[in-house]
Amino acid sequence: MIRIEPEAWEAMVSHARQTYPNECCGAMLGSIDDSQKSVQVALRLQNAYEGAQAARYELRPQDLLAADKAAREHNMDLVGIYHSHPDCDAYFSKTDLQNSCPWYSFVVLSIQKGEFHHANSWLPNADQTDAAKEELTY
Amino acid sequence: MAKILIPTPLRQYTGKQDSVTLPGSTVGEVLTALTTQHADLRKQIYTDEGKLRSFVNVYVNDEDIRYLSKDATPVKENDTISIVPSIAGGSTVAAPPEQNMLSKDEILRYSRHLIIPEVGMEGQQKLKAAKVLLVGAGGLGAPLGLYLAAAGVGRLGIVDFDVVDFTNLQRQVIHHTQDVGRKKLDSAAEKMLAINPHVQIVRHEVALSSDNALDILKDYDIIIDGTDNFPTRYLVNDACVLLGKPNVYGSIFRFEGQATVFAYEGGPCYRCLYPEPPPPGLVPSCAEGGVLGILPGTIGLIQATEAVKLILGIGEPLVGRLLLYDALGMRFRELKLRKNPECPVCGENRTITKLIDYHQFCGVPNPQKPAPAQETKVDEGEIDPVEVKAKMDRGDNFVLIDVREPHEYQICNIPTAKLIPLGEVPRRLNELDKNADIVIHCKSGVRSARACGILKQAGFQHVRNMRGGILAWSDTVDRSVPKY
Repeated sequence: MIRIEPEAWEAMVSHARQTYPNECCGAMLGSIDDSQKSVQVALRLQNAYEGAQAARYELRPQDLLAADKAAREHNMDLVGIYHSHPDCDAYFSKTDLQNSCPWYSFVVLSIQKGEFHHANSWLPNADQTDAAKEELTY
Repeated sequence: MAKILIPTPLRQYTGKQDSVTLPGSTVGEVLTALTTQHADLRKQIYTDEGKLRSFVNVYVNDEDIRYLSKDATPVKENDTISIVPSIAGGSTVAAPPEQNMLSKDEILRYSRHLIIPEVGMEGQQKLKAAKVLLVGAGGLGAPLGLYLAAAGVGRLGIVDFDVVDFTNLQRQVIHHTQDVGRKKLDSAAEKMLAINPHVQIVRHEVALSSDNALDILKDYDIIIDGTDNFPTRYLVNDACVLLGKPNVYGSIFRFEGQATVFAYEGGPCYRCLYPEPPPPGLVPSCAEGGVLGILPGTIGLIQATEAVKLILGIGEPLVGRLLLYDALGMRFRELKLRKNPECPVCGENRTITKLIDYHQFCGVPNPQKPAPAQETKVDEGEIDPVEVKAKMDRGDNFVLIDVREPHEYQICNIPTAKLIPLGEVPRRLNELDKNADIVIHCKSGVRSARACGILKQAGFQHVRNMRGGILAWSDTVDRSVPKY
């Protein structure tokens, strides 16, 4: 299960609302204790997708590398990735799945008409064929 | 020797260490040492075939090894190796959901799509959100329009300015007998909406030209070329390349057809395949050469299939491959198409950056802009069918030659005409008297003009071309002669 602390949660929601009607993306830093994940910091990252960003996002590996470095420097772990689905449910789409990685939690925020609606966390498998829902609290 | 930084989730395989220092002089050697020491880590990073998983990037310091020497990238004592996943995604449903949401009626209608995992709700909504332009509502446009409407493509534009003619009915199945004389746009839109009232049909009643093409095409995701003339084909191609839109191409002739997808994500375009148009008149159109009525059905549906695949993002698009279909042999063949680096519109040094005059480029007159001076000019080498009839009635001594093919002669003929197909004219000149009064006709006047040229060059003194061919004869002299 994954718990997002209030400060990080607020940062994620405001990021997603500000980016609406485009998708936002970022990294979640915190700690992992066995299967209990805790997110203390949400780090905004640039949506590097070249083209319409209303329904796509892309993370630059070097940005992710920098996020991992920042986590290490603060004695934290890179726990997961978040992104928004503007005017769309927080499901793990085929595009999400095909460009995922099984090591992280993927939190998807559904933003409907500019306002936060609901969110889910997903754990994709290594073959990028399926993603399991992870218990999410915030 | 190098230090490998272990991403948090993988530390469970390295005894919780956040970095590991291992021997090796290249990235490949260090990674091998890592996965030998921590065997469980191996399947996180490598596939069963021993390749790095598709989402895994390896960096040496700040550089991706893909841009260095890959596995063979050398590492030194103080280098740091990082394993970084590539991550992307997106809802992929671009328009707001209210607009793309399927109603209860639509869910029932598209049921057989919805239960295919590759299409499903997500795919059907993509179809609903899609905007596809059909250039031409003729032979290829007919099956395209019917099936794409049925499949639920949300917005279908049609460009056409023609009216339905009796000769269309043998293949343009979207038009019915009672539609003869109606605008093809209206006839096609009516049938498409009858099949599926949930789709939107946009009618563009214009001849596509350099002046309007970009403006019309820009509002669509996919352009489907169903034209049968070279100026429009080059125009559609160039406009698609300039706008960055895929051009789903098809062409038909007699028993053979071709299809491919041009200008899609860096793939080749029509000009990569044919940098120059053929000399005018060399490649006959369907009107000139004929076409098996079923053929546009086959080719049009290949185009429809490709369009739907592009919308859904599934399968292997027909990009970089020209599909050739031979109906008589019932065979499909495939030619590899490569992007031409010298291509004037999509190559490295582009010379075409805006639309040009495509009629001039193809060396053919523009039917939309007829040169009035030429139209009214009476050509001395021509004779009107009415005058030919008058000569016959007067009992003038002259020779009428029909240069069409024997199978055309069987359809209809002028009984006093002597049949010499155009291809046989040069070697049958000896059958004719150089001083005789000669009139030549064909179907519409093009081939007979060429025959006149051959005779004049051979020294014949009195040769004239019957203006408008046997079609004009039927219109102005003898209405009992069937037109084809």
